Amino acid sequence: MEVQTASRVQVLGIDAGGTMTDTFFVREDGRFVVGKAQSNPADESLAIFNSSQDALAHWDRTVEEVFPELVTGVYSGTAMLNRILMRKGLDVGLICNKGFEQIHSMGRALQSYLGYALEDRIHLNTHRYDEPLVPVSRTRGVTERTDVQGKVVIPLREADVRQATRELVEAGSQAIVICLLQSHKNESSEVRARDVVRDELQRLKVDIPVFASVDYYPSRKESHRMNTTILEAYGAEPSRQTLKKVSDRFKKHGAKFDLRVMATHGGTISWKAKELARTIVSGPIGGVIGSKLLGECLGDENIACSDIGGTSFDVALITKGNFAIKSDPDMARLVLSLPLVAMDSVGAGAGSFVRLDPYSKAIKLGPDSAGYRVGTCWPESGLDTVSVSDCHVVLGYLNPNNFLGGAIKLDVQRARDHIKAQIADPLGLSVEDAAAGVIELLDLTLSEYLRANISAKGYNPAEFTCFSYGGAGPVHTYGYTEGVGFKDVVVPAWAAGFSAFGCACADFEYRYDKSVDLGVSQHAGDADKAAACSTLQDAWSELAVKVIDEFVINGYKAEDVILIPGYKMQYMGQLNDLEIASPVTTAATAADWDRIVEAFENTYGRVYASSARSPELGFSITGAILRGTVVTQKPVLPEDPDAGPTPPPEAYLGTRPFYRHKKWVNAALWRMEALKAGNHIVGPAIIESDATTFVVPDGFETRVDKHRLFHLKEIR
Amino acid sequence: MTTYTDEQVAHLTEGSLDWETTFRMLSMPKDHSRFEQYLKALQAKVPFKERIVLPLGPHLYIVQNAAKQWVTQCDCGHVFGDYRENWKLNAAVYVRDTEEAMTEVYPRLMAPDTQWQVYREYYCPSCGAMHDVEAPTPWYPVIHDFEPDIEAFYRDWLGLPIPEKAA
Repeated sequence: MEVQTASRVQVLGIDAGGTMTDTFFVREDGRFVVGKAQSNPADESLAIFNSSQDALAHWDRTVEEVFPELVTGVYSGTAMLNRILMRKGLDVGLICNKGFEQIHSMGRALQSYLGYALEDRIHLNTHRYDEPLVPVSRTRGVTERTDVQGKVVIPLREADVRQATRELVEAGSQAIVICLLQSHKNESSEVRARDVVRDELQRLKVDIPVFASVDYYPSRKESHRMNTTILEAYGAEPSRQTLKKVSDRFKKHGAKFDLRVMATHGGTISWKAKELARTIVSGPIGGVIGSKLLGECLGDENIACSDIGGTSFDVALITKGNFAIKSDPDMARLVLSLPLVAMDSVGAGAGSFVRLDPYSKAIKLGPDSAGYRVGTCWPESGLDTVSVSDCHVVLGYLNPNNFLGGAIKLDVQRARDHIKAQIADPLGLSVEDAAAGVIELLDLTLSEYLRANISAKGYNPAEFTCFSYGGAGPVHTYGYTEGVGFKDVVVPAWAAGFSAFGCACADFEYRYDKSVDLGVSQHAGDADKAAACSTLQDAWSELAVKVIDEFVINGYKAEDVILIPGYKMQYMGQLNDLEIASPVTTAATAADWDRIVEAFENTYGRVYASSARSPELGFSITGAILRGTVVTQKPVLPEDPDAGPTPPPEAYLGTRPFYRHKKWVNAALWRMEALKAGNHIVGPAIIESDATTFVVPDGFETRVDKHRLFHLKEIR
Repeated sequence: MTTYTDEQVAHLTEGSLDWETTFRMLSMPKDHSRFEQYLKALQAKVPFKERIVLPLGPHLYIVQNAAKQWVTQCDCGHVFGDYRENWKLNAAVYVRDTEEAMTEVYPRLMAPDTQWQVYREYYCPSCGAMHDVEAPTPWYPVIHDFEPDIEAFYRDWLGLPIPEKAA
């Protein structure tokens, strides 16, 4: 024990989810602990503190001792998202082009069904608009028009802007957003409008912030740009207060690190950052970042990241060591222009409700789920609809006395009764077979989804290592990877805290994007190529100022910042662009252009096929990207000595009846924490930990490696 | 199978059911007892004693009267006649067939040309409730909207006993 505590704790990752707040502490020697506590939406800092105490108790250490040792702390959570979903933001006033006042409420029509399952999307009656972030009553149109080429066709009528400002202040606006058409193409009118608004506010002696879309998200797509800028005004400042509270509590307990927040682009930013809207989704991204780091350690450059939680199954692919970025995602039922780590989700998870279709008698999973209420097996849940967890409990997958480390006791008989009445009896099956049928259906749904996700993008699963994490991941890993043919299947011992771990792995990185429109034909002359380079370079230089500004807020100097330029490119006339890390640090000459094109063509050939390359169409650059990072401390993986294939006797917990393939078997139970590197376990076995359960059924075996990663294999 | 309380179904008929429950109702297979609960909620709302057999509109029903005959009846109790007959033939009618009448309900130039299309509004002669609006060509006969096979509906779709009917 003394040897262990001698090592300093360096890195903290936080995943403040809707139900549980996870913390993940890593020591210099790579040892880690995971803490869990019930989330507290009213004061997130308290839940983080409780979770930290829970984690550090494993090392017999206290928060007061450890916080001052930390050099890195990264937060990810749902604070911002909840604020938007619950419409608890500032009263924002919006200035747009005259005649376009309703655009925000109309949400491109598709906001009426964003986030729906397919069945509901094609069922018009279910479509419904959420309350807009800015009501029409606080929206004012001003006369101005810039055309799609960026030419000002009708100059800004400044008197309109002044009047709009006065009316919006009168209407009680706490912030003013300005978003004019095509401002990403030509910012002059919008910048002028911003200055006029500021001037008028000063005249009125009103001190409220002004957000012009060009200062924040100068990207094409009008609704996306407007929504994102509104989001910034609406939710960012209140969220900053939440984060400040978290940061203050750390400081109170002696922490010296500067709290960072996981952002949608896969880097972390300071809670003091100017653009906080991009912290709206962060939890699930952590897992992808963590997978990338693990992959680098293991030498795997193609990874299928799979995260199964209570409500959904999220899949992301890392190819050649890179994850994909989506530039106009939708979140919280809003179309946005934020760079987001690309992920695909299906609404089936470990807590999904299970129902029989009354007409076809088919088993249906979800789309809703029991969430933190687990299922009918938890009597206090108040639920009477069977969930997937109920089936697990009945079949012996889960330990009813050790769910969440024994925090809640599950009632197997209650689950049996509900499954019997709702599923088994109507189908004429035994409870076991009905429950096993549900699990098989879920496993099949997930493995088909995973397989389709890989092959639809033109890849072969045999070239991929599958990482499985999330609280419920290891229960299903065998089920959704069986027969897919992955090169390797990896379950980290800290699967339940993997998102928090991933956050701690992320770079301190700002990323700014700007739309550009460049078209250069295949055999263009050097002058054209150089001109294109100059436009791109201008955009990079503009973004560099923003990136460096952000780091300066955190006390870094410009020379500490490593700038990584990138661009989005496509064959002229094609619809999808690819994001490329630039092979040149500055773009000026025709030779630079040729290297830019070459890098794009190589990526295109890899993502699609070399034969699909179409240089004869010419090349378009649609966006300039600039990322800036500074050096930070990241978690190191544990390196354990090989203890041989035989698990230590103290890891053995006995056996539990386990039902699969129409028969009960006795599965060996192991305590995950007590297993050693090199240990080899052949199924049927169940490896339990407080926060997760790893199922190794008949026909599978697993080996623990020196990094405490479990490798799952089918035995043929 | 999802089930709902009588109170929820009553809110549904009033349009005051919360969105989450409404959404669940829309997306899930229909619950078995819905029609019975729906009739119960309607029956509690109407001022008349006659038993509702089938609702036809927001204020119009096919009911079973004291003599066990099935008739079409308004909220207010006004009877439009046998349920197999077109009730519209016994309603008060207002036809909008001039531009002037059209501009009462639509802005100018946004209403149909009455040479091509007219509106026929059907009202209860007793209470004045509007029961239906047709938008046919001017010469078109009165439309008989719906000739329900109530026996088959109760027997084959709902699995409920058919309300008694005088021959």
